[in-house]
Amino acid sequence: MKKVLQRAAIVSVAGFMALGLSACSGAASASTGGSDAKSTVYFGVSAAETGPYAQYGQQFKEAFDLAAEQVNANGGINGHPVALKYEDSQSDPKQSVPVAQKFVGDSSVVLVFGDYSSAASIPASPIYTAGKLLQYGFNNSNPDFTAKGTQYQWSSSITTAATYSWTADYIKKQGIKSVGVTYLNTADWGIPAYQAFQAEAKKVGLKITDAEGVLDTSDDYKPSLIKAVADKPQAFVHIGYGPDAAKIVSQLRSIGYDGTFYGGQDEESFDGTSAAEGAVNGSEFVETSSAPNVKAFVKAFTKKYPKETDVTSFEAGAYDALNVAVAAAEKGGITREGILKGFSEIKNVPSVVYGKITFDPNTRRVASPKLTPTTLKGGKWVVYNG
Amino acid sequence: MLDTLIAGVLRGNVYALGAVGISLVFGVMNVVNFAQFSFFGLGAMLTWFFVAQLGLSFWLSLPLVLIICAVLGLLINVAVVRPLAKYLPLAAMLSTYAVSLILDNTSQTLFGANSRVFPTVLPTSNLHIGSMRFGTADIVMLGITASVMVVMSLFLKYGKVGRGIRATAQDQEAALQMGIPVGAVQNLSFVIASALGGLAGIFIALYVGVADPTSGINTGMTAFVAATLGGLGSLLGAVIGGFVLGVLESFGIYLFGGSSDQIIVFFILIAVLTIRPGGLLGKVPLISSEPLTGTFLGKGRPFRIPKWVWPIAFVIGGIVIPLVSNDYILSTGTQVLVYAIIAAGFTVTAGQAGVMALGQAGPIAIGAYTSALITLYLHVSFWLALPIAGLVAAIIASIIASPIWGVKGHYISIATLGIGIVIVAIIQLIIPMGIQGIPWPTIGDIQLFSAQDFYFIDFGVLVLTLLVMWRIRRSHLGRVISSVGADEIAALASGVRVRDYKALAFAVSAFFAGIGGSLLAHQYTYIDTSIFSMMMSLLVVTIVILGGVNLPYGAVVGAIILIGGLEALRFTDELRIIVYGLVLILVVRFRPGGILVRNS
Repeated sequence: MKKVLQRAAIVSVAGFMALGLSACSGAASASTGGSDAKSTVYFGVSAAETGPYAQYGQQFKEAFDLAAEQVNANGGINGHPVALKYEDSQSDPKQSVPVAQKFVGDSSVVLVFGDYSSAASIPASPIYTAGKLLQYGFNNSNPDFTAKGTQYQWSSSITTAATYSWTADYIKKQGIKSVGVTYLNTADWGIPAYQAFQAEAKKVGLKITDAEGVLDTSDDYKPSLIKAVADKPQAFVHIGYGPDAAKIVSQLRSIGYDGTFYGGQDEESFDGTSAAEGAVNGSEFVETSSAPNVKAFVKAFTKKYPKETDVTSFEAGAYDALNVAVAAAEKGGITREGILKGFSEIKNVPSVVYGKITFDPNTRRVASPKLTPTTLKGGKWVVYNG
Repeated sequence: MLDTLIAGVLRGNVYALGAVGISLVFGVMNVVNFAQFSFFGLGAMLTWFFVAQLGLSFWLSLPLVLIICAVLGLLINVAVVRPLAKYLPLAAMLSTYAVSLILDNTSQTLFGANSRVFPTVLPTSNLHIGSMRFGTADIVMLGITASVMVVMSLFLKYGKVGRGIRATAQDQEAALQMGIPVGAVQNLSFVIASALGGLAGIFIALYVGVADPTSGINTGMTAFVAATLGGLGSLLGAVIGGFVLGVLESFGIYLFGGSSDQIIVFFILIAVLTIRPGGLLGKVPLISSEPLTGTFLGKGRPFRIPKWVWPIAFVIGGIVIPLVSNDYILSTGTQVLVYAIIAAGFTVTAGQAGVMALGQAGPIAIGAYTSALITLYLHVSFWLALPIAGLVAAIIASIIASPIWGVKGHYISIATLGIGIVIVAIIQLIIPMGIQGIPWPTIGDIQLFSAQDFYFIDFGVLVLTLLVMWRIRRSHLGRVISSVGADEIAALASGVRVRDYKALAFAVSAFFAGIGGSLLAHQYTYIDTSIFSMMMSLLVVTIVILGGVNLPYGAVVGAIILIGGLEALRFTDELRIIVYGLVLILVVRFRPGGILVRNS
């Protein structure tokens, strides 16, 4: 009996694997078909659907799906409908690399979005380059993604260096002389961001009383915060993401620090944290903006996803990214080469983040992106005229 | 100073609650329960769901959450852990890891992946001492912890069932002979532990203000260290360990900064274990061999592998697969091969020397960084950098690990886990930024960068690794190392310097880990420390356990299933990890000694 069970288990596991492999190849071969009037244009998405970064993958997907729906409702790309192929990478290089190979090998895919983090995007870059497939890291704020990448790496994300030089300048302009800082101790994002901030602060004469590297996975920041505000800085800066900023600002207030909090991120947990009220941040995308295209986007988004209370820069960035890709395909053609060509030619593509997007073909980043000072008021980010 | 102390006590409170659960399960079942961590995240999310979504009161939600966690705990123990613990604790440990994957991802699927604002159910900053504010919430938490501890200790001391738990923890066999229903006692312990995990989760969320479905692992790991610090199996020790760790960590962060958090935690652990090998209050384990690996060699049901399989496997792996596969399969293949190399090398430590080291990400990282730096800055060729990476990893990892070889039992696993994390944290301090543009291997002027090129390189290195491993096993040295794993006391009595041979085995494993790291670095062309996570260490261990701890070629099978399997399951989309966890449990259930286990 035991032997039988044991056999059964092994056979079923083997069967599972085989099923998986055949399903993969099945999906790939199905996509190459389709000889009807106008063939579908496929964009790949390499992002986290599971694991610790799944939150962002989910936000991207919602925005991509909305944008694709709108593009198709308007006749697609010169009549060709747009569709997305998602692959879960967990934002882990062990998986983003095979995902890249999979997309490169799938000739129906003409452009790939992603990945979320640079630690997953950059290892995949050489594969996209070798496969002559454009890798659109719309969320990659690490300057090296494009700076050390090739003509196949593009990004519409503002770089961490630009964001945090801006932040240092802005704080100084507010008449503030000293700040305490926490930054995420991560190689691909937090540390380069802090270095940019530090360099600019030095240049403009903003004193950093103390800077503490922290981990976003930590829950308790009090010992670091007690130290960071020991010299009573006038304001506090956190260079990090939303969930950690939410924890930091609450704990900062609970140790009795009352100065302005610069930082945080337009993200559910931060926006809903009562201690975050009054935080100031430089934003590319402002949900409450009165610009008509932003209003239309926010309206369409909340209509399609009534459960989502906030529309953040993550959704906005993904929404823009798909529209940029479509514009490039319209300009250069719906092939891999065509899209690449289109990217260097498109100008003033309407954007909910920047108003209009034009790339600098040398940096393969958005030319002169602007940041707007915003503050958190009643759980919403609004333009700040401080 | 006072501020930091208070912050430390509050932090320690959560660790203490978590640590008691871990210690309890360990005491009565001899199982290191990774699923405990998931109850932290689950407790937080369930409370968020009841309070913020359903509008229930916090005081009603609290018992509800505890009941749900308790029931889940019972289910897990009856269905997964206990059937396996009968065979061997190692399989049970692996299955708790699978359970934690399932729990975390189910929670993520049900509640969404976002971090959520945890409702302010109690004031969090209405009181203060000096400038440090704290709230009713903190007082209530401390109060609940204190009451739970008092009730628990009274129950264990005077209650009939409680005494049964203690008896089972002391000696399972004797307890059984005295008529104690050990099965029921174990179930109950699991139930209590799971409920405590849920409670700790609620407290974390209450304290931090944000709830996250996957937040358990980090706090859980520290709670685990706290339990070890106090002495695994000792409940009072767990409480003391929790508070001691919380306070020391708090001062450590104040002195050295938050970036050094993990270094502080594991430095404290290793320092304590070196002085008191059984933790603060625990007994020094009397078992002579490593409980996770040493005692079950005879229990497996081996598959016999006829000799002709080898050339066929070689031809299929080295010629057929590269010829017929597309780049996607080859690229997945390269990941499988690299992990197979690392895991095959690891069998000397895990199988032969009988030490289940949990921190292989450390030497992998050393290899990756060494190879990246010397090729980039000293322009050493890849082919030379590869063995150098292995050597450097072996040397550095051995030096850093040298204090721990006197530690025994489960403690050695946990100490090595610490070593792995500390190595990566130190690298992060020295080289904070990622390294990009790591060169591809070249032959003459030809750059090797395609999936096929890497497949061939990795395949070649794997074949060499397996040959070396085979040679080591057949040599006198290999037999001496095996004797250490099979019966440490007997080996010692025969004049074998057990400590040195364990260290040597670890160095051999670190060498292959370093080689693997080098291969990964040149393939990715970009590395940063986030790649060498604890998950990577766990993956290596899982591969080895799955393939059979004692078999280098078993590691290849383990890597195919665990890495190839994750890719093969892509069709299940978001459910991928859950299905993966289920498959893992099934495999462990029917081959608890590993797929290709060998008879002793």
